[in-house]
Parts: sequence; structure tokens; C-alpha cells
Amino acid sequence: MHEYSLVQAMFDQIGEAVRANRALAVRRVYVRIGRYAGVEPELFRTAYEVFRVKTMCADAPLEIADAPDDELLLERLELEVP
Amino acid sequence: MCDSCGCGDTNVVPFEVHERLLAGNDRTAAHNREHFHDHGVVAVNLMGSPGSGKTAVLEATARALGRHARLGVLAGDLATDNDAARIRAAGIVAESITTGSACHLDADMVHRGLHHLPWRTFDYLFIENVGNLVCPAVYDLGQDANVVALSVTEGEDKPLKYPTMFRKADLVLVTKVDLLPRLDVSLETIERNLVAVMPHPVMLLVSSKTGSGIGEWIRWLAGSGRRRLAPCASHAGEGVGV
Repeated sequence: MHEYSLVQAMFDQIGEAVRANRALAVRRVYVRIGRYAGVEPELFRTAYEVFRVKTMCADAPLEIADAPDDELLLERLELEVP
Repeated sequence: MCDSCGCGDTNVVPFEVHERLLAGNDRTAAHNREHFHDHGVVAVNLMGSPGSGKTAVLEATARALGRHARLGVLAGDLATDNDAARIRAAGIVAESITTGSACHLDADMVHRGLHHLPWRTFDYLFIENVGNLVCPAVYDLGQDANVVALSVTEGEDKPLKYPTMFRKADLVLVTKVDLLPRLDVSLETIERNLVAVMPHPVMLLVSSKTGSGIGEWIRWLAGSGRRRLAPCASHAGEGVGV
């Protein structure tokens, strides 16, 4: 269940992006999980649903794209800014 | 203007990140690797299922190499100090990393574990990962080589069932080969399945109990140190290709 620690790491990255952009909230999160990344997308989604409650991602759906290799990327965010 | 969803909310903007989810772990792993290289330590990440024979391989390594090289072990364990205690009894300096519920080691755990070992004096540092064929493969620890222990009792199809782990392996140690006469297991099938998933398939047959194959493992380790000094060297002629 390393998906939970990966989501935790992703929230650290999202927090940095939010601070850098002085964002009010995150509206959508885009990640890419490769076939050989060693990560189960549905478990990753489940972990995200657990973590996002009462955070800046509370209203941000997670979009997961696949890849043929071992990519494991936070690709893009949609941020609500002042 | 939000270009992605067309919601028309003028306060929503896209922000490109394009960073690995494990970027933080990768930075710590690079730091560990720099430490190891600066002090001439060859670091090996030893992975495999629970009961695949990882600790027994390290005990056999201690018997074969302990008088000729300075060895140390960081042993990842969910709840006990048992593996590190066994390794210390074999004469190797060892420290446990008790992970609690974590199913893998990460670079920061290894870094903190190093604080409890005289690792700068080692020729080889073995990082015995938590027994698991999935999660440990995802995390770079700063190692020079990934070695996977696969026992003949685990079944022939493990490389196909857990391809990520075996894709990351620089070497697979097929362990407990002394049990083969009692098992209905085909080494040819194991080899074929490893070739199917490993980019550079290399395997050694070992028995920690009888010592069979341990000499080849020690030679592979010595080559691992040489490979680090010449990282562009070809894999050809090193270890036993399959």
C-alpha cells in the first residue's frame, strides 16, 4: 500500500505549488502513472480520496492518465487564484 | 480562463508541474549515493518476498566474504529486530530499520539508519529491504545495484506476476536450489520468465545452506564495484546472462 505514501508526497508537491502561486484552492489534479511504475491506479485514487478531505484539494477531482513505461508524474494542476 | 474544462471561471489557471511524484525521495537517494561514492562504499538493495532467503544470503555472504571485506547491513523489518540479530550473529555489523506498517524502505529511512552505523568504514553496505515483491521496487535508496532474491519454492511465474520488481533488478539470486530435488519446479521456466521481463537478464543459482553459487555471487559483487567506477561499461560478460 505504498500508494498512500505516494499520495502524501504528492500533497507536499501540491502544497508547494499552492504557496508559490498564492492559490486559494486546487480545482483539478492531473497525474500520469505508467504501466510499470509499480503503482495501482485505483489504489492511488482511493488514497487520494482519503487524503483530500478538508484540504485545498477537497473539491479537486483526480485525473489519471496511463503510460507504457514506468513514469510516475504529477503533470498539472488547475489552481483557483485571487 | 480555465482552458481545460471550459467552465469559464476566470480565477482558475493551469499550472504545469511535470515532476516525479517521488522527486523528494529521489533527491535524498542522490544524497545517499553521493555519500556512498565519496567513501568508496558499494551499496546493494536486496529485495524479495518474505521468506525468499535474503537474510540467509547475507549470512552466507558473511561466511564467504567477511574476512576479506568490511560488510554492513541495514535491515528493514516491519516489527522485529530478528533479521539484524541473525546477521550480527554471523559477524556483520547490522542495524534494523523498523518500518511499522510501511511496506518498503525509502531513501530517508536509509539516511537516518546510516546514522547508527559506521558505514564510512564499509566496503559493502547491504540494504535488506522489507519482504515484499511490489512496493520496494518503486523507491530509489541511493544503491549501486538492485538484487532480488527469488526462492525456488515461490513458484516459476513470480517474474510474470511482479514484473516491476524484476524489471528493476540488476541481478536475480535464485535461492534455496538445494531444495530442487524435492520440488516440481523447472529452472528453465524460471529463466524464461526472467528473460521475458528483465531488460538485462542476469541470474545466479545459490544455496545459502550448502554454499553452492555463493562464490559466483561474491564475484558478481566485486564486479558491481568495478561497474560503478565505469558506469558506461557493457553488461556483457558480467554475471551469468540468461
